[in-house]
Amino acid sequence: MRIRAERDDLADVLVRASRAVGTRSPLPILQGVLCDVVGGKLTVTGTDNEVTVRTYLDVEVTEEGKTVIPAKLAAEAVRKLPPGAVTLASVDGEVEIIGSGPRFKLREMMVDDYPKISDADTTDAVSVDGTGLIKALAQVGVAASGDDARPTLTGVLFEAVDDGLRLVATDSYRLAVKDVPGVSAEGSKLVPYRALRELGRTVGAGTMQVALGEREAAFVTDHGRLTVRVIDSTFPNYRQLLPEGHANRLTLDKGALLEAVGRAALVAEDHIPVRLAMHSGGVELSVIRQEVGEATELLEGEYIGEDMTIAFNTRYLTDGVNAVNDEAVVIETSDPLKPGLLHGADENDFRYLLMPVRL
Amino acid sequence: MDVPGILHADLDAFYAAVAVLEDPSLAGKPVAVGSGVVLSCTYEAREFGVRGGMRVVDARARCPQLILVDGTFGAYSNYSKTVFGIFERYTPLVEPLSIDEAFLDVTGSIHLFGSPREICDRIRNDVRTETGLAVSVGATTRKFLSKIASQVAKPDGVIVVEPGGEDAFLHPLPVSYLWGVGPVTKKKLNTFGIQTIGDIANTPDDSLVAMLGSGAAGHMGALARNQDPRAISRTRKAKSIGAQSAVRSQRRDLDDIVPILHRLTDRVAARLRKKDMAARTVTIRIRFGDLSAVTRSATMQTPTASTQAIVDLATKLVKKVLDEFPKHEISLVGISTSGLGVDEPLQLALGVDDIALGGSPKELEYEALDSSVDELRRKFGRDAISHGSDLLSERSSFGDGLSEVMTPDERLVEAGDGGPQYIDFDDDET
Repeated sequence: MRIRAERDDLADVLVRASRAVGTRSPLPILQGVLCDVVGGKLTVTGTDNEVTVRTYLDVEVTEEGKTVIPAKLAAEAVRKLPPGAVTLASVDGEVEIIGSGPRFKLREMMVDDYPKISDADTTDAVSVDGTGLIKALAQVGVAASGDDARPTLTGVLFEAVDDGLRLVATDSYRLAVKDVPGVSAEGSKLVPYRALRELGRTVGAGTMQVALGEREAAFVTDHGRLTVRVIDSTFPNYRQLLPEGHANRLTLDKGALLEAVGRAALVAEDHIPVRLAMHSGGVELSVIRQEVGEATELLEGEYIGEDMTIAFNTRYLTDGVNAVNDEAVVIETSDPLKPGLLHGADENDFRYLLMPVRL
Repeated sequence: MDVPGILHADLDAFYAAVAVLEDPSLAGKPVAVGSGVVLSCTYEAREFGVRGGMRVVDARARCPQLILVDGTFGAYSNYSKTVFGIFERYTPLVEPLSIDEAFLDVTGSIHLFGSPREICDRIRNDVRTETGLAVSVGATTRKFLSKIASQVAKPDGVIVVEPGGEDAFLHPLPVSYLWGVGPVTKKKLNTFGIQTIGDIANTPDDSLVAMLGSGAAGHMGALARNQDPRAISRTRKAKSIGAQSAVRSQRRDLDDIVPILHRLTDRVAARLRKKDMAARTVTIRIRFGDLSAVTRSATMQTPTASTQAIVDLATKLVKKVLDEFPKHEISLVGISTSGLGVDEPLQLALGVDDIALGGSPKELEYEALDSSVDELRRKFGRDAISHGSDLLSERSSFGDGLSEVMTPDERLVEAGDGGPQYIDFDDDET
């Protein structure tokens, strides 16, 4: 194999494919990326056996062929070369990366050891606005769990609803629901958020083909494709967790609320909640930490309902407020021990349900 | 510190001695407590080579006339309370280590009761006349050294090591007296020609590290050179609360162990709740028939004091161990909770599944059940209500509190409000 490409383009395809390479893979070969040159095209594949990223680049080909090179090292080596053309060539068990002057020789990994990964079937793929989908996923993704002991909760549910696609995630402390209208999805699939959060940095935005298969989900753009094994378990019945209605409604400026919670969080440790004492005219935020001190702050806003105090974990509250896509945030509540509901004042397609902290 | 005011008092063959006191016809005879495994035996039995931890079959082979009795936990608890009451006459600084041993700091009591040696004699005399039990005492300037001295003093003896005489006392002793030196380490040290504690003290640190690894080497080197700065801490804040139970050594299924876990957790969780505490981390300890042991732990995002929630998590951990060691016999099951918070706010959770994790609807249901059970027990006594499996599991495990087959690190305990009640995991590090 011998090719030539611009440094930045080559670095880009290597870096993006490398994002699927796990840092602690049990199989040494998975620390590498597969470079496959056919026709005038280089395809770079990185995988951790769960998530696979493929990236493509048109290159100047001297000799077709395949090689597997250490992912992070190769990507860094190319990036560190001077600007200009770079040659990538495999010669006698070594891969040469040659810039205008510097030259790296890396030990080649065994091509035959690299897992055979075929592209998932995308004939039934639906076309979506990639930028919109990535934004929507970020909104619900904060509610997904990072706890591998509860795999079901590490996924985002892709569910077909009447007028489009619904995305749902929960770690059992909060639940986020986002509707993406106009996407003709079918059925429901649970996709690991760990993979979805990489979409933007691997296959990019633009028009995206999304194929949700029985075993794999594939996301394909002009830049590349990301496939991930879907989670084979039943997502909680989230509909019964969503409350029918709330008695109290507090409306606050998003920026002011974020800053106030940020100040309160300075005093709070993770398990110390911020108390929201709601009354007509606004809310008093307070954090009391016995051995350290306390923080209180009055935030003006609009409140409809009985005076009530409810407490939330500062991080979960911050995540929810951040996810709201509106300048005014509404917090609906009914009881200090029942979940609160966050959404933008004029936002009808996103809801963030948050369980309170019992004092 | 210029007086040997740190005492380690350790009752001699406690369970066996109590058995003899309860049934005087056993006096002077080889007696062992336990069934399946010898938990404790009289010195008469020891003369035949019977030892704690030995299988009853092997003990009988050495001593055919051995008299075997079952343990009665109630009696042990009463004797223990009396003995600890005596300790407290001489100093408020009593740090219980288990049901039958404690550290005492009598440095401040010398002007009241006389020299450390006189205090040792008075304590031993009081214990003997008031309970009939023999207690061996070591008195030195340091905790670990006093503990060694009391072991050397057994049976029914006292050793006082005056300041300056520590090395002369310590260095000739075999390495096995050193805390943390089990049969394996002893053998390893012996192969390097190290027989006595003095040999360790004279071995350079880096050589010890090469033999034992850095953790054990640092610890042992320090002890051999008589360095142990720990103070007597009467009011240690519990870092962990746990309980464990020796069981007859045999291969067991998860179904056999869950009832034992449940019974142990029932008490551990009740104590958490009594102190308004909740735990984030659950650790289980399984000791095998060959006395090797494994521990596994898991940490929850939210703390819990619910019996069932802790049992559920412990069961998962035990299952992993059983899968990992498919053929091993099991001789001890322990559970410990740590990451303790007092009266902390509780993050509530949505009912996304049926797992009883802290704050979930399921756990709150269990919490309500637990508080009803606690209330019933407060009114009508511990035995008023029990989980069905608890009653069954008692048949397959020894009474809790039977500590003599446990290794030293298994014996350290957290002091209960009314003196030591349960054999707990080590929470000695403060």
